[in-house]
Amino acid sequence: MVATTRPTRADYYRVLADNLPPQALVVTSLGNASYLWAKLHEAPENFYFEDAMGLALPLALGLAIAQPSRPVIVVEGDGALLMHLGALVTVGAINPANLTVLIIQNGVHAASGGQALTNAGLDLAQLARASGIALSENIEKPEALAAKMRDGTARGGAECLVLATEPDLDVVRPPVALDPVVIKHRLQAAIGAPRYVHAVFGGGKLESS
Amino acid sequence: MNSVLATQADAHRPSDVLNTLKRLGFGAVVSVPDGWLGKILVRIEHQHTMRLVRATHEEEALAIACGLRLGGVRTALLVQNAGVLSMGAGMVSLAQRYQFPLLMLVSYRGTPDDPVFYHVPKGRVTEPVFRGIGLSYACVDRHRPIGPQVEHAATFAEEASCPFALLLSREDIQW
Repeated sequence: MVATTRPTRADYYRVLADNLPPQALVVTSLGNASYLWAKLHEAPENFYFEDAMGLALPLALGLAIAQPSRPVIVVEGDGALLMHLGALVTVGAINPANLTVLIIQNGVHAASGGQALTNAGLDLAQLARASGIALSENIEKPEALAAKMRDGTARGGAECLVLATEPDLDVVRPPVALDPVVIKHRLQAAIGAPRYVHAVFGGGKLESS
Repeated sequence: MNSVLATQADAHRPSDVLNTLKRLGFGAVVSVPDGWLGKILVRIEHQHTMRLVRATHEEEALAIACGLRLGGVRTALLVQNAGVLSMGAGMVSLAQRYQFPLLMLVSYRGTPDDPVFYHVPKGRVTEPVFRGIGLSYACVDRHRPIGPQVEHAATFAEEASCPFALLLSREDIQW
């Protein structure tokens, strides 16, 4: 057995599950980012990406803007982040204090079989700071993530934590079918989001229940 | 020309677009601007009831809009047709797959009314690409008021739970 020097995704996910803030919404990127989170902490407040690589971060940004009183945590991969690096700049420009960005930095495209990234050694925390997310940090150990998650200090903006992670190439089997439309509807129900009332029923607008 | 058409011709169509979004309860607009969209975005930015989010890329804008709608905010995308061409993967794998109702107000560049040499290649393929990716859309009828056409597009998006693109000409959207 080969000893690894970096923690696994599961190590970080256990910390996240154990320290999830009340009322948090969690958006997870494609592949094991979603499958493993579903296995460890399946909940209506989760929004799992099926594909759409690189779009978990901007979707989470929109969700954070729409739900400013709830913590929104997004788990994005380093490869996915590089695919839409501009989203980091948009997050930095808006800087919502309720958004926490966790970047799994494993140096590969894990969801597609472990192909090498264009540049696996980037200082992503520095990149995030340069993008306007002042509270950005490279994290080497799950304990450091736990300390961050337990820190109840009010923040003035978004936080970006880059998690040094061992690649996980074996696909995790999620405990439930991750039907995209069901996932969307149950999250909206969980947060009491306004719903569109069909025009035939005298609606035509979003209405709160 | 009868009096009805004269009135329609005199109406400031970009104002009608903005007023319709407000009346329908749109709380957010996500955009990557082009030359026609720039000024209406400034107007939107000053609205108290709407939030403007300026994205760096149209596929990113699409995902932000999906997140806003997921969180219960009625959201419109304002982008150029070139932007829709570059958001194809997100359109099919996110917006359509998860059935997000989104109103897309799209400046239709490169048509015979806008024969700028570098826009023409995009105009030529816009509608075939929309059909190819299964994106529901309509072209604005310039002889009819714009407000109801925006409302119909927004209603279709919600009733059908999908993105709907309304292709706009210069006089519809350039303030």
